[in-house]
Amino acid sequence: MEKALKRYAPIFVLPTFAAFVIGFIWPFVQGLYLSFCKFTTVDNASWVGISNYIAAIKDASFTSSFKFTVFFAVVSILSINIIAFMLATLLTQKLKGTNVFRTVFFMPNLIGGIVLGYIWQILINCLLSIIGQPILALNSTAGYWGLIILMCWQQIGYMMIIYIAGLQNVSDDLIEAAAIDGAGGWDVLWRIKIPMVMSSITICVFLTLTNSFKLFDQNLALTGGEPSHSTEMIALNIYQTFYARSGMQWKGYGQAKAVIFCVIVILISLIQLNATRSKEVQQ
Amino acid sequence: MKNKKRWLALGMAAVMTAGIMTGCGSSSGGSSDSDGGEGSVYYLNFKPEQDPQWQDLAKAYTEETGVEVTVVTAASGEYETTLMSEMGKSGAPTLFQVNGPVGLANWKDYCYDLSDSDVYKELTSEGHALKDGDAAAGIAYVVESYGIIVNTELLGEAGYKTEDIQSFEDLKKVSEDISSRSDELGFTAFTSAGMDGSSDWRFKTHLANLPIHFEYVDGGSAEAIEGTYLDNYREIWDLYINNSTCEPSELAAKTGDDSRNEFLNKEAVFFQNGSWEYSNLTEDGTFTDDNLAMIPIYFGAGEEAEQGLCTGTENFWCVNKEADEADIQATLDFMNWCVTSELGTKTMGEDMGFVIPFKKAIESSNLFVKQDAEMTADGKVPVAWDFSTIPSEEWKNGVGSALTAYAADQTDDNWKAVESAFVDGWAEEYALAHQE
Amino acid sequence: MKEKKSISNTIWTIVLAIAAVLWMYPIFMILMNSVKKESAISTAAAFSLPGADSFAGLANYVDAIASKGFLSSLGFSFLITVTSVIAILLFCSMCAWYVTRVNSIISKMLYYMFVFSMVVPFQMVMFTLSQTADRLKLNTPYNIWIIYLGFGAGLAVFMFCGFVKSIPVEVEEAAMIDGCNPLQTFFLIDLHILKPTMISVGILEAMWVWNDYLLPTLVLDIKKYKTIPMLIQYFRGSYGKVEMGPMMACIMLTVIPIIIVYLAGQKYIIKGVAAGAVKG
Repeated sequence: MEKALKRYAPIFVLPTFAAFVIGFIWPFVQGLYLSFCKFTTVDNASWVGISNYIAAIKDASFTSSFKFTVFFAVVSILSINIIAFMLATLLTQKLKGTNVFRTVFFMPNLIGGIVLGYIWQILINCLLSIIGQPILALNSTAGYWGLIILMCWQQIGYMMIIYIAGLQNVSDDLIEAAAIDGAGGWDVLWRIKIPMVMSSITICVFLTLTNSFKLFDQNLALTGGEPSHSTEMIALNIYQTFYARSGMQWKGYGQAKAVIFCVIVILISLIQLNATRSKEVQQ
Repeated sequence: MKNKKRWLALGMAAVMTAGIMTGCGSSSGGSSDSDGGEGSVYYLNFKPEQDPQWQDLAKAYTEETGVEVTVVTAASGEYETTLMSEMGKSGAPTLFQVNGPVGLANWKDYCYDLSDSDVYKELTSEGHALKDGDAAAGIAYVVESYGIIVNTELLGEAGYKTEDIQSFEDLKKVSEDISSRSDELGFTAFTSAGMDGSSDWRFKTHLANLPIHFEYVDGGSAEAIEGTYLDNYREIWDLYINNSTCEPSELAAKTGDDSRNEFLNKEAVFFQNGSWEYSNLTEDGTFTDDNLAMIPIYFGAGEEAEQGLCTGTENFWCVNKEADEADIQATLDFMNWCVTSELGTKTMGEDMGFVIPFKKAIESSNLFVKQDAEMTADGKVPVAWDFSTIPSEEWKNGVGSALTAYAADQTDDNWKAVESAFVDGWAEEYALAHQE
Repeated sequence: MKEKKSISNTIWTIVLAIAAVLWMYPIFMILMNSVKKESAISTAAAFSLPGADSFAGLANYVDAIASKGFLSSLGFSFLITVTSVIAILLFCSMCAWYVTRVNSIISKMLYYMFVFSMVVPFQMVMFTLSQTADRLKLNTPYNIWIIYLGFGAGLAVFMFCGFVKSIPVEVEEAAMIDGCNPLQTFFLIDLHILKPTMISVGILEAMWVWNDYLLPTLVLDIKKYKTIPMLIQYFRGSYGKVEMGPMMACIMLTVIPIIIVYLAGQKYIIKGVAAGAVKG
């Protein structure tokens, strides 16, 4: 079949690939070029070599925002995926009101990031002042947990949908056969369902990984990096590099930081993809 | 079979090409297309509130002269991003704005020298031009004032008149008295000094202007700030936060809207803000010229008897040097028309509520603007907007952060942090801004 | 045995119900605030229900609709979302199928390129993207779908690849032995099996495109076109005064079409399950 397919390659691949080149590859390559320049707009860029990268690495705020982002990513990846999977398992059984629940849990994803950030900021500040704790702008811990909660609230529904689609593909015959063989609920879960939905797990873990690292709108809206940049994630740090000070060199530093960030996340995700892909079961 | 495949491939290619062609076909009408050599104008406007008036004005100009004028307004807080993106395109803006010397550092390669243009000659004073060496890179197009807005009716109920406040000591006495009697009066001295993004600029920039200004008056310069007047800064900040509608620890979440709404709901007498607030306060009739006034922010420094409102600008028009000759000329003509013609000056003065620093500006109906003019006529000296020399946004953020932390816990150590953000932060940011 | 199951089911239902109510609260807050009078919307009063004197009814909604080209932005948002989602679903599923079925170096490379495009922070490419789109004149609502296809291909191809793997090759091979060419195989067989996936991916992509603010601002010819998220931003004035009422109303109005689309799609997913997914 492969041979037959290969002749059709242009039809299947070309439209997507062409758009991909226009919409992504070319801007990316240009962006890469810009990371070695200082510029105001794309046209008046002047080459400065690797000095942007040196400045980016020396920037203490970059390393600290990186650390903060990693802490955030680890916790949110775990919590989102575990809870989403649990919900998906629950909602693929014949409980009453499954449809309603699915819609409700997915709702948060319907609203744009920045608006949600502001709503949650009001919510969390209100709660904090009720229990007498300093509010978000003064409270790094609350800022951290606030971000985690917000991220979970938004992403769980999204991931739940993917897990549901994956779980629906697990044939009931297999589960019945296992039950007949005497497997209890736990066994069915670990030995059958999870391996079968490994491809969904790959997708969801990868998505939560990239979403956590790239988080920007909600970070800006919920804490804005306060107090004193302690809750500033990488994307916000890059944004501040672009705009918080004026002068052509800052745009170049920002680009360099973005490239470094890219490379690191690509490496992390390569590791993750390999690990979970190897566990996928082809039906 | 093979034919079908070929047709399908051709079909898809055609669809994509058609997509690109539609773009090509419908994109004309941008500013750099030839209109028979007449040129056209593309203005990227900074202030969303005035967008409807600019659209109307642009239409009127086109009707009168036949020159095409497109006005696009960037969303609040997105001006720099939008400008950066638009300037990279083929139909780049011909008229845009910068906020002062700091913003100019980003855009000076794109600024046309306005010194020889007609509109430049209409300025009431050369001080309103933004210079890059000898060239006039930008000209101010709106002058605004800020100070402490007063609800004179409530002030009267508390037993005072605006004339009673002629110095910082007076301000302190009056506000502390009002706030100590706030239960009995039903209102207090100051509205909340919110430190969220929509309001903190009033204190980390506008209020911070005062210590900076007085240092310059003493002979200091933007190269290094020494913090000589930071004790006064502390006094007035303490006054704002300890005599207000909310606890100092709640400030971080209070917004600009909260503060304004408190003033509109008559919960406080004083509201630090600027002449741009006039329409917000009077539009639904809550306030009229009879119960409103603006007094200077007395700082306990300089000659308080001669201190006026803080007046200046953060908005300078710049023309895109890289645009076509015809477009540049059309833009200059448009700018000149806006500040000299009857319709232009009326729209900018009345409908937009601007005070424009040009010779043919009409008299404003904005009470605060009139008060500023009166005070100047009386011999009072307006406090200049020296905050335009603040080296970066980052400095403002640092000071803002420290102010908020101090408000939550008013210890001397926390104030030392504010001082450090102010003085050391300035040195750092200045160095960073000038490292080339 | 059955009794135990139904008790634990009931317990779960109750737990989920409570979770669902808490889950909805923030959205409920937006709804409440959208019917309050402007001056009653503040951080202190955010939680309070609109009282008699702060209830503004539909005034905010009317304001929002009447303002600043709401209907045309709605139209453009709709056009862009529909064209982009159709393009993404169609082209990316085809591409993903090819990449999964054909085991060549090129297809592997393609896969990784698509996947890594998802990792790139938008700030790095936003200005260059805006300039590229401008040069190619892909900056109108009628052809911006090409940009969205290119930019969104990463996510879609990635997800489709995952699901295509779970389609047994035997069915396809059987079809080809019967004389179908790959195109027919794909459209007649795989497309049907992938329906639930299509719906899921479609909804996710639609969410993204509909709510996206930054990309249209930078890529569209803003002299002529606006989308709804761009419009919402205009309710923030330059001195920090946010017209909260109309803004909240606008947000509610943009959320409702999506809810409708989602509810409609929901039924389809259930149908897919009932009709039976392809089993081994």
